[in-house]
Formats: sequence, C-alpha cells, structure tokens
Amino acid sequence: MNAPEALGTGTLDRIRGALGDHLLACSRKSAQRVYIDIPPDYLGEASALMFDEIGARLQIVTGVDTAAGIEVLYHWALDREGCVVTFRTVVDRAEPVLDSIAGVCPAAEWIEREIWELLGVDFRGHPDLRHLLLDDHWPQGDYPLRRGKEGAP
Amino acid sequence: MSGAEIFLEFLLFPGLLFTAAAGLLTSWVDRKVTAMVQMRVGPPLLQPFYDIRKYFIKETCVPQGGAIELFLLAPLIGFAGVTLASLILWRALLDTEATFIGDLIVLIYLLLMPAVGVILGAFASRNPLASIGGSREVKLMIAYELPLVLVVLVPVIQAGSIRLGDLLAAPAPAGTLSGALALLAGIACLQAKLTLVPFDMPEAETELAGGVLIEYSGAPLGLFKLTRAMMLFTLPVFLVALFFGGLVTAHGWMSGLIGLLAWLLLVALTIVLRNTTPRLRTDQAVRFFWGPVSVLALLAVVLAWAGW
Amino acid sequence: MSYAINTLTRSLNVFHLAGSACNNCDIEILDALTPRYDLERFGITLVGSIRHADVLLLSGIFNRKARVRLLELLRQAPKPYLVVAIGGCPATGLLFRESYNFDRPPGDYVPIDAFIPGCPPKPEAIISGMVRVIEGLRSGALAPRCMEAGRPAPASALPETAA
Repeated sequence: MNAPEALGTGTLDRIRGALGDHLLACSRKSAQRVYIDIPPDYLGEASALMFDEIGARLQIVTGVDTAAGIEVLYHWALDREGCVVTFRTVVDRAEPVLDSIAGVCPAAEWIEREIWELLGVDFRGHPDLRHLLLDDHWPQGDYPLRRGKEGAP
Repeated sequence: MSGAEIFLEFLLFPGLLFTAAAGLLTSWVDRKVTAMVQMRVGPPLLQPFYDIRKYFIKETCVPQGGAIELFLLAPLIGFAGVTLASLILWRALLDTEATFIGDLIVLIYLLLMPAVGVILGAFASRNPLASIGGSREVKLMIAYELPLVLVVLVPVIQAGSIRLGDLLAAPAPAGTLSGALALLAGIACLQAKLTLVPFDMPEAETELAGGVLIEYSGAPLGLFKLTRAMMLFTLPVFLVALFFGGLVTAHGWMSGLIGLLAWLLLVALTIVLRNTTPRLRTDQAVRFFWGPVSVLALLAVVLAWAGW
Repeated sequence: MSYAINTLTRSLNVFHLAGSACNNCDIEILDALTPRYDLERFGITLVGSIRHADVLLLSGIFNRKARVRLLELLRQAPKPYLVVAIGGCPATGLLFRESYNFDRPPGDYVPIDAFIPGCPPKPEAIISGMVRVIEGLRSGALAPRCMEAGRPAPASALPETAA
C-alpha cells in the first residue's frame, strides 16, 4: 500500500477556501499535523465543514488554560490522507462560552462534558451537560485543571 | 436390608462420606495435574478438604429480593442427587444382584440434579450475571443430554436389559465398535456435564465474575463445590460401569484394578482436555453436541442394534 | 490458634479491587498469581466474586467515586474476611496525594488488616506480606479487623463537599 499522501494540498486548500476570512492563522507543525486558528463563533460551521463535507473523524477535543485564555482544540483526523487537522479556539477565562458541536458530531458529547467540569467552559446547546469524571457532589465553581488551583500544572 | 443398614450405607459407604472424600481427592488430582502441566508445584493433598471446610465457617449472605427459600435449597438438590446416584452405582458395582429394574433410568435422572440445582440457584440469585450463567447452563444441558441418552442406549442394547446389574454382568461394550464410538461421544458429554473447559461458559470466571454462583457464599457455596467434586468422581465411575462393566465385575480383586485404571484414564483425559482447550461459546457448544456428537452416538446405536 | 483462624488461613480466596489506581500494583498482583510464583501451593486462589472472597486486595488511591464502590463491596463480603492494601497508595496516596481527585486514605473508613508497601511491590514482596499476615493470624498477634467493626453503612450519598 502506498504511503498516505500527507494532507494533499487539495484537501488543505479546500478547507482554507471554505474557511475564507474566518481563518485566523494556519501553521504546519509537520507533514501530518496542521493547526488552524478560528474565532469561537465560527466553531459550529467549521465543525460542520469537517464532519459533514470533508468527512473527517473527530479524534478528541482538548483544553488548556493558558495566559491568553482557555484554548480548546478540536482534533480532526483525515484517515485517508493519514494526518490530523486541529482547530484551535481561545475563549476568555472570565466568561468562557462556546457553542456545543454535539448536534453536528455526537462523538463530542462526552468530551465536552469533561472539558466543562475540569476547565469550566460552558457549552451552549449541549444536550446533557453533567459531570462525567468528577463526582456528582463536586463543589460548583471548582474547576480542577484551571491554573493556580492546587494540584494543577 | 433393614432401614438402619440402608441409612448407614447412605451416610458412610458408599454414600455420602465415601463419595465426598473420593470426590475431593479426585479434585486434588485435577488441580495437581493442572499444576504439573503448568510446570509448578500445586496445592497440598488436603487442599480441597481445607477449601470446603473454610466455606462452612463463612457467613451466608442472601441477596435482597431474591427467592430466598429456593436460593438456600438449590444446593441441596444437586447434593442429594449425586449422593443417591453414587449409592445406587456403587451398590450395583459391589454386588450385581443388588439392582432393580429401571435403576439406570433413575441414575440418569439423579445425575441431572446437580445441573438443575445450579440453574435454580442461579435464577434465585436476582443477579443479571447469574441469570446469563443460568441460561447458558440450561442451553448446555439441552445440548448434551440428547447424545448422553443415546450413549447410554448402546450398552443397554448390547446387554439386552435395562438393569444395571445385567449390564455389569454382560461383556464390556468398550471392546466392540459401537461401544468404542459411544464411549467417545460419552467423553464429550462427560466434559460438558462437569462444566469443564471447553464447556465452562456458565461459570466463566473472567467473563461473568463467577457466573451462576456469583451470589453464593458460606455453606451453600461449600455444598455446590462439594457437589461438583463428587460429580467429578461419580461420572467417570458411571461411564466405567457402563462401558467396562463386564471387566470390572468378573475377575475379583483384579477387576478392581482394571476399573481403577479405566477410571484414571477417563479422569486424566478430562484434565488434559481442561488444560489444553479454549472455552467455546454457547452456540458453538450446542452445534457441537447436536451435530457431530449426536451423529456419532446415533451411529453407535445403529451399529449396536446391528450387532457390531 | 482458634479453629476458625486455622481453617481460614489454610484456604484463602483473593478478590482484587483497583480503586482509581495507576495499575502498576494491579500488574504486580497479576504476576503474583501466575504459575511462576504459584500461590496455589499456599491455598491461595483468585476468585471473581466478592461473595466467594476471604481476602480483599486493595490498590490505588480510592477517589470519591471509588469510595462508594468499596463500601458497597465490603457490605457484600461475607465475614470473616481480611483487607490487605497493596502498594503505597492506599496508605498515604504517595505522589497522588496533592492531586485534585485525592479523597482520603481508605484506611480512614475501612478497617485494613495489613499494608504491603512498595511502588509497586514486587510479587516476592506481596507473597512475603501475605505469609506474614497468615503467620500473624495463626500466632494470635493479628485478628481480622472486620469482626470488631460492624457492617459498613450504605454509601448512597456522599458528603456535599470534598472532605
């Protein structure tokens, strides 16, 4: 089997074209990894683009509390090309709100629950936002993976 | 025979005490041979006795909402069944005149009781894993009882009688073609009746966390384990009586040795199968027993009828 | 040596519970139960159901959710039983002690008969620990702590705040 063509320029151009002005930045970390920065309000359409049109697979969603705010990264796997495209959004730590993409991609349901309970990002429109890992009686407002909390890096 | 004598026979020899002790020793042989196959030492001789003794000092926990009376009585069903079966079998082996018409049929029914007890206990446990194990046991039972009846038919046809004593007096069927084929089918049924690998899916430890016996503890569990050990001893004796009967009863003390050798062979085969085969799924087991094993047993019956 | 202790220590059924563990101790427990270390010669066997068990092996730090399960399991265990904690985590939490999901050492709410320290303890250490427990029971130095404690109350509701 021939080696997968790492993100043939065809697919990348297609994504870039569809995003248009909403693409804030695009960097290529390696042949198989592309990072694209998008604004938070364009998240729903970007996810629909990747899931419905391009046919990518949502690998996982990750979140980090950084100096710039809370970054939430959506990792889309393009299995045929053998590479991963990551959409990065940054939300303000004071009021972290994002649209839930669970309606578009049901696989995101649980991981959005986890990011909510550990980082405090509120996912608007999530069908079932409740604790996943943490205990049900966990004190409200206590987000363990926020910076400055005891035990968080 | 006076009632007191029969009662003593039931309790001591060859009934309860004898079968229990022999069963636990057989269980030790099983564990020791398994250990040798796995290149390790294995438990001391009295280990199965220690295990049963330990169960009787433990608390008996009863699941809330389960059928409590059935839960506690289920172990007794199998225990009584195998004790009585052993009693009838050994009385016939020691004295071929001490039999009655239909005792073979009674034996088959009594040897069904342990499986029935396990099934009832599993469904009285009010536990979904036990229910799965119980339903698997039911399906397995339906699968292997058919060829087992056909297997028992072969010595009956050859001896021309349904009395165990007549079967023991007739020449050993194992020497004939039909007898050999029936013995082969009987060994497969033996493995399933003992719920040993490859047919141990009702009690799959890794899958079902104990399966049928998951809710049992204390004395009822001890009784179940004891019944299992007694079956490990009694079922090979049953097969030996059916297929090597003539050899066993004919030659005095030599016959005892021949019987012991035949029994050891069957038990060794069981242990080797247990250690070298993977566990089958329920549908695979049912297909196996209703397919090749039943065909083999049917062939043996036809050959026995034809005189081979 | 009482009859019950003598009977219990000659045949031990072991049930293993990993409560939010990193699983290294679990791997070492599995190793100890393989033919290489042959625990069956001491009469020790692994069982799949808590109702068949005489020894409950604990590993891990037991966070709040695991605490509920542990208490439920102890309610189901038939007496007399022993509780043996494997590894350093059940004792002190070790490197996970400052973590946000660390609840409290299980020794605070269940009676633990023995600790086998290590991170993870080698199978030899686990065997040595078990042998010491058996010897302690037989000599009378140790007694199953489950007998003095009552049956744990049902942990259906946890305290409102992370204690």
